[in-house]
Amino acid sequence: MQNAKDTFYTTLRDRLAAVNPARTIVVRGVTRPAVLVEENELPSDAVPVDAFRLRWVGLKADPNGAQPLVTMSCEIRYATDGNSGNGGMDRGRLLAGMDAELASAVSEHPRSAVKMSYSAAPPVAMGTNVFWGDVAFSAAATTGERLERVATVEVFCYQEAGEL
Amino acid sequence: MSGLVDAVAPVTRRVRAYFAPVNRAAGVPAIFDAAQMGSFELDVPTAPWVDLGWCSGFARKCATKVAPLRTGAPAVVQTQVRTELEATVSLEFESWGKLQMALAAGSQQMNLLVTAAGAAANGSGGTAAAPVPLVAGSTAASLNVGTASGSFNVGDLVVVDVDYAGQVGFVGSGVSAAYVASATAVNGDVNYVRRVSLNVARVIAIASGALQLGTPLLAGAPAAGMQVSKLVGFVDREGGGWFQEWSALFVLEGEQGDRVIYHYPRLQAMQGSAESMVALAAPLERVRLAGAFRALPVKDANDGETVVCFRSYLPGAMRAV
Repeated sequence: MQNAKDTFYTTLRDRLAAVNPARTIVVRGVTRPAVLVEENELPSDAVPVDAFRLRWVGLKADPNGAQPLVTMSCEIRYATDGNSGNGGMDRGRLLAGMDAELASAVSEHPRSAVKMSYSAAPPVAMGTNVFWGDVAFSAAATTGERLERVATVEVFCYQEAGEL
Repeated sequence: MSGLVDAVAPVTRRVRAYFAPVNRAAGVPAIFDAAQMGSFELDVPTAPWVDLGWCSGFARKCATKVAPLRTGAPAVVQTQVRTELEATVSLEFESWGKLQMALAAGSQQMNLLVTAAGAAANGSGGTAAAPVPLVAGSTAASLNVGTASGSFNVGDLVVVDVDYAGQVGFVGSGVSAAYVASATAVNGDVNYVRRVSLNVARVIAIASGALQLGTPLLAGAPAAGMQVSKLVGFVDREGGGWFQEWSALFVLEGEQGDRVIYHYPRLQAMQGSAESMVALAAPLERVRLAGAFRALPVKDANDGETVVCFRSYLPGAMRAV
């Protein structure tokens, strides 16, 4: 399952970076595409804005079939305060821009990727694909001047023999 | 890749449809050889197959009947026989266009040719305006009309085909679009072939007397004597005696790199024009073209068997079989 999580993250990160190369974030001194997996970062209460934060939530496994089919829910959280130069009045536009970037990246064909194992360098291609469904957007929430949204994508993978 | 992987049931999200014309005069359908062409890129099908886009509600039904053959007293089933060979397909197209409407129409699918000034009203379009002749140098994607280009605008829909000159039988370039029993039946209308033709396109640019088309004409480079007529849209009718016939291909792309292909060499519409209304958000509804087709038989050249459909499965890489 970890391989599938890593594969989905890297695929989504690369696609989002291609859609909008200017959307970057500085994490521990390194500038990178503004996509991160919360469980892979240092615990913090701070909410990075103008970035996509992946949070793995639901997990189901269907043991029928030659390989167990695993379904994982990925919440993608993002927020914006707007541009300070505009007094934050463009926060709606910026959130809509992030909505469009995410929709574009998730729905881009193909909606699957070869599952990779990142436990070794270089990564090793595995025998099955990770694939995912449509993105579901929740209502935008307002906290002060901050606009936030949670989108959810169901990610599917097959648990290969010997895979942890 | 790590090695052989267990086989799983294909997972797919949509069905992609393609069609190819049947040579009605010769009775020859288009044959798809999955062994040679099965792995084609979905966006660029191999000729003569034409992309119809995604469809939903794809349902194929086997209506072939298998009956027991009994002998003795009391009767005992000794063997089985096939008493009828039949299959049907139904689907809804996700997009509207000339080809989708033509396939879903129960009979002729016609072009609404721009009418002549003062033409009497008619359900499938009144008397058409005079067509524009082509001059030398036209191709499937560029129509050279010379000085007449001034009468066209970017965005116009056009149909390119021969004049009706009393011919009987199947008419329409590239695709048989109708069957003319007699010149009288079509009033000797010089525009009748263009009225039914599937050789249509949209003008996307005009330069140096040539109309640049958004998509190449189905029939390829225009033949001598073809002319251009403008049209405003398409019309099909409930009723009419003509049966469209197509070779069809439906592809289910599996998420694991596998692929299922249904090839129907001969399909005819088995219902009149129909739509389904899919609720979007009240009161909005999405209108989908609904088609239902009956498969007709062909002979498999490998063993002479009579068949109506070929279902091919192309496993993903390194998949156990």
